[in-house]
Amino acid sequence: MATIKVQDLRKEFVTDTSTVVAIENVSFEVGGHEFVSVVGPSGCGKSTLLNILSGIESATRGTVDITEGDRKAKLGYVFQSARLLPWRSVIDNLLFVQSSRGPQVRARCERYLDMVQLSHTAKQYPGQLSGGMQQRVGIARAFSIEPDLLLMDEPFSHLDAITARSLRRELHVMWQETGKTVLFVTHDVSEAVELSTRIIMLAKGGRLVADLPVELPFPRDPASDAVALARADLLRRFESLDLLAT
Amino acid sequence: MQTKLRLRPPPVSAAPGGDERRRVERRRRWLWRIAGYVFFISLWQFTSSFLVADFIVPPPAVILAEMWDIIASGQVWVHFGATLRTIAIGFAVAFALGSATGLLMGRSRWWEAFLSDWVMATLTTPGLIFALVTAMIFGLGPTGPIVAVIVTSFSYIAVNVVEGVKAVPRDLTDMARSFGRSQPQILRHVYLPFLAPYFFTATRYGFSIAWKIATLAEVIVGTAGIGFMMRQKFQEFSMQGFLAWVLLFFAFALFLERVVLQRQMKHVLRWRPEVAR
Repeated sequence: MATIKVQDLRKEFVTDTSTVVAIENVSFEVGGHEFVSVVGPSGCGKSTLLNILSGIESATRGTVDITEGDRKAKLGYVFQSARLLPWRSVIDNLLFVQSSRGPQVRARCERYLDMVQLSHTAKQYPGQLSGGMQQRVGIARAFSIEPDLLLMDEPFSHLDAITARSLRRELHVMWQETGKTVLFVTHDVSEAVELSTRIIMLAKGGRLVADLPVELPFPRDPASDAVALARADLLRRFESLDLLAT
Repeated sequence: MQTKLRLRPPPVSAAPGGDERRRVERRRRWLWRIAGYVFFISLWQFTSSFLVADFIVPPPAVILAEMWDIIASGQVWVHFGATLRTIAIGFAVAFALGSATGLLMGRSRWWEAFLSDWVMATLTTPGLIFALVTAMIFGLGPTGPIVAVIVTSFSYIAVNVVEGVKAVPRDLTDMARSFGRSQPQILRHVYLPFLAPYFFTATRYGFSIAWKIATLAEVIVGTAGIGFMMRQKFQEFSMQGFLAWVLLFFAFALFLERVVLQRQMKHVLRWRPEVAR
């Protein structure tokens, strides 16, 4: 099972006129089969953190170690927007990210498309699908490489409430069925409480200010009292730390 | 207490459906195109009959008969073959050079600084200059026109490809990198498909330039080809022969544009909803 070790991570963006610190001395660990949400206000470095973990960005300082046993862990990434290649059909988008070819790989891709209930769209182009369907393809694509660790960057933030809710349910089922480790970035505290086993709170300036377990049984009804209390507790913490101030 | 929702079926639209609307639109476009031909050919006939002596502007029927003679005598294949060979060789080299230069300039600001002024210089220099320079360097024969085609078309392709490379969405290249795709895979599966519309625009402009410059160079130094035949008819002051070759040239260029290039473009860009329609 994939584990993440992040130590003293710092990321600066240097512009012509200034240096912006996106992440400041962040350290944390994530164990196998955890669903960890990173929560914080806009611009606190959540997406930058995922980009560093995935290798898209490099850190200014600090170390990131993502392993699966003795080897480097395989990563799947679900972005805020689906980021599908519009000139490839849905199934070809899944095949594009595979490291090998063959009927077994194709069958695996079809299985994950089926898991997000989109097997009937396999031959269609992304432009023929709704935003919600495209995002489901993005989720199937990330799962289809059978990653050890799944990185998700506000995957439901661009969707309507009904689609987002149904996708959260699907994601939860897929996480339980596959046993992946998930690092999930969101600015929606309710979403974090509904899905996570642990919540990491980032503040403006990219500082890690809290790392809290969420000890509620699954499945969690977002309308239940227990979830509402946990959400209220988190929001109080944010307010007391003045984290939401811009 | 349960609230009952009264759902009414959507009204049946009397307006024609999408397919029917597109058919009507296509028919209307064709009608306007045919109307354009009828108008300009009538204008030509009128000019020839009432305004200008018919040895200066021969009527359309005379030109059509002359075109038929050129086709029936087999001359058309010889000279179109010669011009097409010049364009095919010249344009293929220009396309390869222009694409490579565009990719280099689009992906590296150092290469852009190194090459951009030279590409702009070839873009803005009139084609006639290259036709004359290559005529002086290579003399009579096919080499001069081929080199003239390469030099003039290359910059059109390079400039379009540079713009395309700069517009490749970083979101998609980042996605590919995050899934561990290699640089050649990203080039093949992200860059090239994204650049397809830019390649088509470059091909259309570059090809039209290639046609013009190849004909011009043949007028100056050609020993065969459409331009060579135009020069011959010009020297004989045979307006009907000259116009017949011009119209054959026009018809062939139109055929390439409408039948070959546009169809290919529709096929390659079939994933775009506006093209699929």
